Amino acid sequence: MAAARGSSEGVRRSDAIVARRRRDRMRRYGLYLLAFVILAWVFHSTVVEATDWARIGSLGSVLETLGRFLPPDLSLAPQLVQPMIETFMMALLGTLLGAFLSVPVIWLGAYNIAPFAPVSYAIGRGLMTVSRSVHELVWALIFVAAVGLGALPGILAVAFRSIGFIAKITAEAIENIDRRSLEAIYAAGGNRLQVLRYAVMPQVLPTFTSVVIFEWDINIRRASIMGLVGAGGLGLTFYRQMAMFNYAGVTSVIVAILVLIGIGEVVSYLLRRRMI
Amino acid sequence: MRTTTSYATSVRHALTESVGLAGRTAIEVGSGRTGPGAAGDAVLRIDGLCARYGKAGDFVLKNIDLEVGADDFVAIIGPSGAGKSTLIRCINRLVEPVAGEILLKGTNLTALSQRQLRRHRRRMGMIFQEFNLVERMSVMDNVLSGRLGYVGVARSLFKLFPRADIEAALDILEKVGLGEFVDKRADQLSGGQRQRVGIARALIQDPEILLVDEPTSSLDPKIARDVMTLIRDMSRDLGVPVLCNIHDLQLALEFADRVVGVQGGEKMFEGRASELDRRALHSIYAGEVL
Repeated sequence: MAAARGSSEGVRRSDAIVARRRRDRMRRYGLYLLAFVILAWVFHSTVVEATDWARIGSLGSVLETLGRFLPPDLSLAPQLVQPMIETFMMALLGTLLGAFLSVPVIWLGAYNIAPFAPVSYAIGRGLMTVSRSVHELVWALIFVAAVGLGALPGILAVAFRSIGFIAKITAEAIENIDRRSLEAIYAAGGNRLQVLRYAVMPQVLPTFTSVVIFEWDINIRRASIMGLVGAGGLGLTFYRQMAMFNYAGVTSVIVAILVLIGIGEVVSYLLRRRMI
Repeated sequence: MRTTTSYATSVRHALTESVGLAGRTAIEVGSGRTGPGAAGDAVLRIDGLCARYGKAGDFVLKNIDLEVGADDFVAIIGPSGAGKSTLIRCINRLVEPVAGEILLKGTNLTALSQRQLRRHRRRMGMIFQEFNLVERMSVMDNVLSGRLGYVGVARSLFKLFPRADIEAALDILEKVGLGEFVDKRADQLSGGQRQRVGIARALIQDPEILLVDEPTSSLDPKIARDVMTLIRDMSRDLGVPVLCNIHDLQLALEFADRVVGVQGGEKMFEGRASELDRRALHSIYAGEVL
């Protein structure tokens, strides 16, 4: 096009483009260099300077220590069954409780159905962020302090950690809902509650359910470390084996966790396939 | 009582006049013969209705007056963006009018509080362009949702509809030809079938008027005619008047006994379908057709 209009104008335009591309390229390489310098500095200050290199010793001694974890201590197997079941149940109950507790948070945090939109939306979204930004072990510490040792604080920790994700995804699904069916319910004389029940719920229930299943899958992982802070399950066994320097026993616990997670993967896959 | 004894003749008459031999019988736009149907007393009376979107926007409806009689099938025609949908949606206040009165058998709908409005909305059945069904719910539940204005909130949350409602739903579904689709999910149906569910949902409200917003736009011509026939026949059977937006002129003339022409938010024509001649069409469509 430019060339057709006149060669001098075409040359000017292409000059400008070439110059801009060169400028962009220089800027990009500059940024890469800056990023590398920052990374190098971070690595130097956290790894090179902060590690006690003398204590690590030779490569051989590192490998030897790692070798103590193998083979797994099979004699521990009978003692792992009960904590496995406990972990499984902690994940299950925690997820169900979390799903239940996320319902009001969803209601507050989905802009198009929120009761007092600007205020409740901020509250709802705030609760979601708090739930997700506090680590599950921190939640567990809080609940161990509140209700004591055992599986209960683990269940509560898993539940509170789950609210954020379940609520966020579902609230966003509600915000993207097909508004036309809402209108039909209003036109028939339905109130807000009936609109929620008849137009919103049927549309987002599949999303909600699949998020809950996904969260349960993750919660098995979370539940298996709860014991590190005294909240029951396999984590407690893990912690004891570690404290006794029985590294082979630690490996056994890790294997048990893997088995449990495997079961969770299979079950959640089957559940999700049944739903769709 | 319908005055058009020979319905088919009048339709043919209207079509030849409007399409072929227009101009022979020039009738004044908005002439004296524009009152509601033969019955006289209006079911719906609209006075000076004005509407706009947002506080500073242009008026989408400007001072609309309209009456729908007990036996009327009124078609609102006009180009896209004329305000047809807004007019229909102002009546059950899915869009809030800015000024004017809307009287449904004497009840001024514009003066109602939100709570009162819900009770009166059930008196008006609405049929939508895109059906507005809840896709993931069964046909039965979709139809029953038309009863939500009657069922207590607590009961409705558990889908505990009275047996009479379920029987009525079965009966209506049978009548609209969906007797075998009761347990199907709405998203398994074809477009024409979905609109039939929409019609059933509006009718189970036991409405005093049907508000119909472009019922055929999402359908092919054959199905469109079937759906219009169904709406006309069912409304006649139940003695419910119809106010129907429709941009398809041919269908409007075929099914409506009165026509209201809207353009740029103003009523340009009101009269019998047979009175709609080329001049009237010209004023409604501003020369865009014919």
